Amino acid sequence: MQTVTIKPKSELTISVEAENISPDKFAGKSEKDIQSLEVWLGNHKTTLGDLFTIKVEGIGTAADVKIVMEGNFSRVKRIGEGMTAGLIMIKGDVDMHLGAKMSGGKITVAGNADSWAGREMKGGDIIIEGNAAYYLGSGYRGESCGMRGGKITVLGNTLDFAGEHMCGGEIYVNGNAGILAGISNNGGKIVIGGNTSRPGSEMSKGTIIIKGKVDEMMPVFKLEGTEAVDGVTYNKYTGDVIGNGKGLLYVLV
Amino acid sequence: MELLIKNGSVYDPVNGIKGDRTDISIRDGKIVDKVSSSASVIDAGGRVVMAGGVDAHSHIAGAKVNMGRIMRPEDTRLGIKPRTKITRPCTGYTVPNVYAMGYRYAQMGYTTVFEAAQAIMKARHTHEELEEIPIIDKGALTLFGSNWPTMDFVREKNMDKLAAYVAWGLLASRGFGIKCVNPGGGEMWGFGKNVTGLDDVVPNFEVTPREIIVSLMKVNETLKLPHSVHLHCNNLGKPGNYRTTLASMELADQVRARKDRQVLHVTHVTFNCWGGTNWGDFESKADEIANYLNNCDNVTTDMGQLIFGSATTMTADGPVQYANAKLLHAKWANGDVELEDASGVVPIFYAKQVSIHAIMWAMGLELALLTKDPYKVLLTTDHPNGGPFVNYPEVIALLMSNKKRQEEIKTLHALVNDRTKIPGITRELDFNDIAVMTRVGTAKVLGLLDTKGHLGAGSDADLSIYDIIPDQIDPSIEHAKIKSAFSSAAYTIKGGEIVVKDGEITATPAGRTYWVDATVPEEQTEIMMKDIRHKFKNYYSMNLANYAVQDEYVTHPEVIKAGAIPVEVS
Ligand SMILES: [Zn+2]
Repeated sequence: MQTVTIKPKSELTISVEAENISPDKFAGKSEKDIQSLEVWLGNHKTTLGDLFTIKVEGIGTAADVKIVMEGNFSRVKRIGEGMTAGLIMIKGDVDMHLGAKMSGGKITVAGNADSWAGREMKGGDIIIEGNAAYYLGSGYRGESCGMRGGKITVLGNTLDFAGEHMCGGEIYVNGNAGILAGISNNGGKIVIGGNTSRPGSEMSKGTIIIKGKVDEMMPVFKLEGTEAVDGVTYNKYTGDVIGNGKGLLYVLV
Repeated sequence: MELLIKNGSVYDPVNGIKGDRTDISIRDGKIVDKVSSSASVIDAGGRVVMAGGVDAHSHIAGAKVNMGRIMRPEDTRLGIKPRTKITRPCTGYTVPNVYAMGYRYAQMGYTTVFEAAQAIMKARHTHEELEEIPIIDKGALTLFGSNWPTMDFVREKNMDKLAAYVAWGLLASRGFGIKCVNPGGGEMWGFGKNVTGLDDVVPNFEVTPREIIVSLMKVNETLKLPHSVHLHCNNLGKPGNYRTTLASMELADQVRARKDRQVLHVTHVTFNCWGGTNWGDFESKADEIANYLNNCDNVTTDMGQLIFGSATTMTADGPVQYANAKLLHAKWANGDVELEDASGVVPIFYAKQVSIHAIMWAMGLELALLTKDPYKVLLTTDHPNGGPFVNYPEVIALLMSNKKRQEEIKTLHALVNDRTKIPGITRELDFNDIAVMTRVGTAKVLGLLDTKGHLGAGSDADLSIYDIIPDQIDPSIEHAKIKSAFSSAAYTIKGGEIVVKDGEITATPAGRTYWVDATVPEEQTEIMMKDIRHKFKNYYSMNLANYAVQDEYVTHPEVIKAGAIPVEVS
């Protein structure tokens, strides 16, 4: 087991590109090695050790690495980018692109996550106990495949375009979602516990389940009747009919 | 400034040098017979030396290219490289930014590249980008195939007016030659339609693609333009289109060249040598095209080789792009250039296990290997339609190694064995053939052989040295070394200046832009301009005075004189 504890040295007001905060990058490294890993503060190249106090106990492979982050990381981007194993526990808020392209391991956030959390992730788990902003589990600009595998759980709410261009994996949002959750879904599963509006246009595959209220439906779905999922009865729609899509959309009756 | 390249294995087919150890002397940006003893010396150490690469068909600048960038932000991410002390930042793979265009060509040893399609109306944008592309010399071919004035003058059978229009259009666009894309089809696309063959009549103009092509070839020769008509055939992207391609090639027999080059260049044959009647019985007819080329001497072609992976198709052929977008469920950008042309941009991913793509991969190679004379098939990928130009070294390695081809075929959809001739072709090209397909041939097809594509005295001092010692390598077996050497030149020298060393950019001089100033009798222009003024008054949404590219947009011009009347030599 290798435990790495990270705390900001002072309040960060300029964004930090911290893709080097990852079990894969920390595995087997000493305190000094980790402190010297490169990060960008705005347009200025610096090191992790310059911005954060870093404490390391033990040593191990990526799967054995546990990163504990204490404090406010709301200007720290790309935490856990591309990670394949291990654990990151963030006891605060994080900036954009949390766990982007990760393929394994687990990230937990006690606070809120900004946009693009789980962007294009392939596997592993992200649990956000607060809210997630826009484009949760989406593809980045122009990409035709967003999240491809793994699971994202949000206990609070999320904003617009959750799961945009999803090709696989699962997103569970306990609270409400903004507009167009699951837009261009190509095969992922999205469950929204609360309310949303205009879910799932341009779906070609995949499943969206809305347990709350849908303010407005996109006029591109065909009502197929009702169906029970886990003992609850939903209106079942298929679409997007314009693109001959085979997506499934369940909305509470 | 003098430079001596000593001890290179020089491939310079024009001057009869086939790998012989030869010294090359350079003074003031030109190749000369001899330099003084104070010249700087590069010892090539027996490595391959060739003239700088010349690309006659690529899409490096202009409205379509930029549309590709706008609609493909995800492509930006595929080629990010931060700035250095010498270079600016690079982005993109299929649609790189302007800086990457210049650097990446130079890193492969290329020093001259032609943009294959600019509409006159969009030419100012093309030149703004060309000016920003570092290092390489460049130029742009101007679209004339679906322009209203072209079709009017063809219908009137008034070749004087058409010649005057072409000359004026080249001036207005600072263009290098006549590009003709799916003639008539661009106009038809304005009505959601397309032409289906050489003899379809374009409504409202009452002309056929056949008449447009022949007329443009005629005036091309009247104007004695350096390059020939550069044709993207009708029916591109449709199974069975090889017949249209062959019929188009035959049209060249109706016109006699007035310069030492082809009458017609048929481009990116990978996209128009298709047999079959639908996607089910789709097959390669590249052998039929090669057979035609082997028996004619007035047509040249280029491969438009397909490269597996990400590509961005972009063409003035608007209708074919709509069909592509529908077929692929892909993003689609559609463009209309008023009175002149259409266009479309669609991303694509070529996959080895998709039978159509595997068969198309074979087509370019079949064409190059079954055509006996390498001067008739230039090496291109129709960047970025068949794939990005950075893959030329992959194509070179495939052409030089049957072993590599056979290894590749094993990874492809099995139909490549039944629907193409590629598995049975054992020919392997040599360095001399490659020098022709990437330098001499391209320079000759463009009409630039005076100063480009060879290493004789008087030529531009553009050359590349590759990390290959010919008598110590068997390209057939060591194809990976061939690919890596051509990807990363040991030296690229542009205008006598070392711009690349060991694959890294060392200097970024500005390149020049070639354009053709063709003269016609003044009264002929005046008669033609009456029609043009009428078009502007009644149809164009812009003013004639704002139409032409001003000199300010071409700050490094290289003007080639041509024309119907004798040119005074000063
Ligand atoms: Zn092209």
